[in-house]
Amino acid sequence: MEETTTATTTPIVRVEALNKKFGELHVLKDVDMQVAPGEVVAIIGPSGSGKSTFLRCLNRLEEPTSGQIYVDQEEITGDAVDLPKVRRNIGMIFQHLNLFPHMTAIDNVMEGPRTVLKSSRSKAREAAVQLLDKVGLLDKIDVKPAQLSGGQQQRVAIARALAMQPKVMLFDEVTSALDPELVGEVLSTMKQLADDGMTMLVVTHEMSFGEKVADRVVMFDEGIIIEEGAPEQIFSRASNERTQRFLSQLHWGGT
Amino acid sequence: MNYEWEFDVVWENFPFLLSGVGTTVGLAILSMLAGGVLGMAVALARISRLRILRVPAYCYTELFRTTPIVVQIMWVYWVLPILAGVTLSGFQTGLVALSLNVAAFMAEIYRAGIMSINRGQTEASLALGMTSSQMMRRIIIPQAITRMIPPMGTMWVSLFKDTAIISAIGVTELMFQAQYLAVDTYRPVEIFTITAVIYFVITYPQSLGVNFLYKKFRTQE
Repeated sequence: MEETTTATTTPIVRVEALNKKFGELHVLKDVDMQVAPGEVVAIIGPSGSGKSTFLRCLNRLEEPTSGQIYVDQEEITGDAVDLPKVRRNIGMIFQHLNLFPHMTAIDNVMEGPRTVLKSSRSKAREAAVQLLDKVGLLDKIDVKPAQLSGGQQQRVAIARALAMQPKVMLFDEVTSALDPELVGEVLSTMKQLADDGMTMLVVTHEMSFGEKVADRVVMFDEGIIIEEGAPEQIFSRASNERTQRFLSQLHWGGT
Repeated sequence: MNYEWEFDVVWENFPFLLSGVGTTVGLAILSMLAGGVLGMAVALARISRLRILRVPAYCYTELFRTTPIVVQIMWVYWVLPILAGVTLSGFQTGLVALSLNVAAFMAEIYRAGIMSINRGQTEASLALGMTSSQMMRRIIIPQAITRMIPPMGTMWVSLFKDTAIISAIGVTELMFQAQYLAVDTYRPVEIFTITAVIYFVITYPQSLGVNFLYKKFRTQE
């Protein structure tokens, strides 16, 4: 069922023959991917497999060596592209939180709309209050990041990205730097986003997220996608031997 | 050691001596302002993506940080007028030389401050769709400034003392007045002792202020 919707709708993200080299090191090798609007894709794989690099190419924080990327049918690769404009449509959440430490939570959320979109203060504030409410931090509006827990900071970061009303959201190991007890609150915020229909590409080591929230799981290894499919398929009966080994090392994958 | 101190001669000439203080303070403030502005331009050139800006900025900072300030002053006093065809007064010479010197050090302070901001801040700004100049203005510089303030304070204190060097080109600041009086009264011991005290009295509170800034901004991070 999922496959038919994917096939018939126009993809919101389309990646064709993406290559990335760091000097001699060939990190991504002719990677193709299509993501349907509203789809949640979990990207898994061992460290060094190229999954984070892949994600970072999608908003060109990392410059692809070759290949094409289209977001909402518009090519974002090539020299002629207005990068700041392209990036407005692509939200990104990072492993290392990266909130602006000199600004309060609400100022963090208002920063994009105010500085980039030139929204009025009242409009930006109203939207920011709603978003902080959505991520459950209405009581932390005027608090600086240093006074927030890692999980709270990451939820502010999600609100900050949402304030730009992106078409796609990229999550780069967003729970890896958090204390274990803080992971749940961030994952449930992400699940809520997924339920709202946000298109999400999620590089993660949280297999529970992949299993419960993702529509599709994509396994990277050595710069290529070695296997992909519905979560139940990947987690219970992965066909690729390297996927099986990777999942068993994480004590995951059925048996 | 049974030198007979004779401070009366100092007190008699005290107004004359103090008349140099205004020039010292004025020169320090003006050089700091001019050097601060020029230094910002040099720092931005230094971190630019364009080699044509980066290389000259690098040469400039290194040249001024590796030559004695007295040489720089003499160069501006003797050589610049010939090369540029302009005549500068002693005060103007001091101002130009000190400003150029301060700019080189300030450029390094700015640059170090900017570079000390975690790469994640750049990435978060760019991912939001900011241009580089929006990122600098809204995210990087506001954070970098708190790290720049303490070394700027140190720079200021050392600049304040360095102004004494321009007595060498006849500018009537505090040190020049002191030298004049020392010769005029044959009382160099008293004159230079009191001159040292005057520098100390003016500089010490500033130095305390700088220590305070270091503490204040360290605890904030």
